[in-house]
Amino acid sequence: MKKVSDSLKINVEVMDQEDVIVVRQEIRQLMRGLGFSLMDQTRVVTAVSELARNIIVHAGQGRVEAYQVIDQHRIGISCIFTDEGPGIHDVQKALEPGFSTANSMGIGLGGAKNLCNEFDIESALGKGTKVTITEWLK
Amino acid sequence: MSEIEKKTAELLKKNEKQIHELWKTLLIAKAKNLVEMIGLDRMKENTLEVLGQFSALLSSGTDIQMDDYRQMRKILGDLSKDLTLKNMSPSETATFIFSLKDAIVPVFQKEHKDDRLLMDYILVINRVIDQLGLYTFEVYLESRESLIREQQQAFMEVSVPVVKIWDRILMIPLVGMLDSTRTQLMMETMLTSLEDNQANVAILDISGIPVVDTLVARHLVTAASAAKLMGAECIITGIRAKISQTLVQLGVDLSGFSTCSTLADGLRMALASTEQRIG
Repeated sequence: MKKVSDSLKINVEVMDQEDVIVVRQEIRQLMRGLGFSLMDQTRVVTAVSELARNIIVHAGQGRVEAYQVIDQHRIGISCIFTDEGPGIHDVQKALEPGFSTANSMGIGLGGAKNLCNEFDIESALGKGTKVTITEWLK
Repeated sequence: MSEIEKKTAELLKKNEKQIHELWKTLLIAKAKNLVEMIGLDRMKENTLEVLGQFSALLSSGTDIQMDDYRQMRKILGDLSKDLTLKNMSPSETATFIFSLKDAIVPVFQKEHKDDRLLMDYILVINRVIDQLGLYTFEVYLESRESLIREQQQAFMEVSVPVVKIWDRILMIPLVGMLDSTRTQLMMETMLTSLEDNQANVAILDISGIPVVDTLVARHLVTAASAAKLMGAECIITGIRAKISQTLVQLGVDLSGFSTCSTLADGLRMALASTEQRIG
């Protein structure tokens, strides 16, 4: 899997709810341009919404990047969510439904994982969290 | 310096008529939109007023924040505000006062062959007109901002309409971003209306919400639970195919609530549960 041209790229700093909306719109537009179906757009944008909001809620601020990727014969989109927040103590547990430290439903992170093709999370206590999601065009 | 200013004022006064004619011609040629927008009569009146004020004020100073300039600021401020509301661009708005420079310079040049003095006069004129131009910008921006604030407030007021669509049945169309402020507003309006209308069913239509994620779901569940406490039933409608699939994958459980894909189905369900029929 490799990155493709910088022309199709999103790089947004998220600090509040309004930024989450901006990120959602830009990613939806990027996906539409790549030819993703409305259903795929909705799934991924919902995951993006969850992950971007996690940044706001848990770390205060962070960054969302998205770009087109290519892997042999298929193309897709990757989104990376990075923050320098408190990090996640137990990633496995955080992915379980119902686990929340922020008085929310506790299904956002695990839900986001279910919503896209590939999901990768790295987190270090006190250093921050990086989540990468990838969706392939079928 | 004040000597120069006084002389500039005299020169301005002496050639006022000529400058005024030239200014008007320039405005008509360069800022057609602006003239069309404010009308020829008002343009004539405003230019005459500004010019008259200008020569009178110069001798008392060139700082437009002075009290003497109040009338001048008011004329330009009012004009700027009007143009903002008429959707003129900021540069078009500022053209009004900036084009006065182009009207003054040629007249002064004709009058004064002495380069050094001419330079001094023009500097004085520039200093004042630049300030006035900036002032026009400031007023423009302020009016824009207050317009945005007003619209935000207006939007907040209409953001959660509660409609009584049938006896004992309310409908609340939700549109756009459902954040905590709006959810709070939505809950309050819904609960009060349920009480006021003696309603038993509230239909929450989410067709207009672009992304239904866990936050939106949580807000919906909270609203529905509050309605339940009052003995009313909440029906969530507008759950389209893509949203339904997304919610399931996300793991959101709405099984405790009545849900429908279309508002029509929701209304049918509401009529059935209140034992009513249309017609």
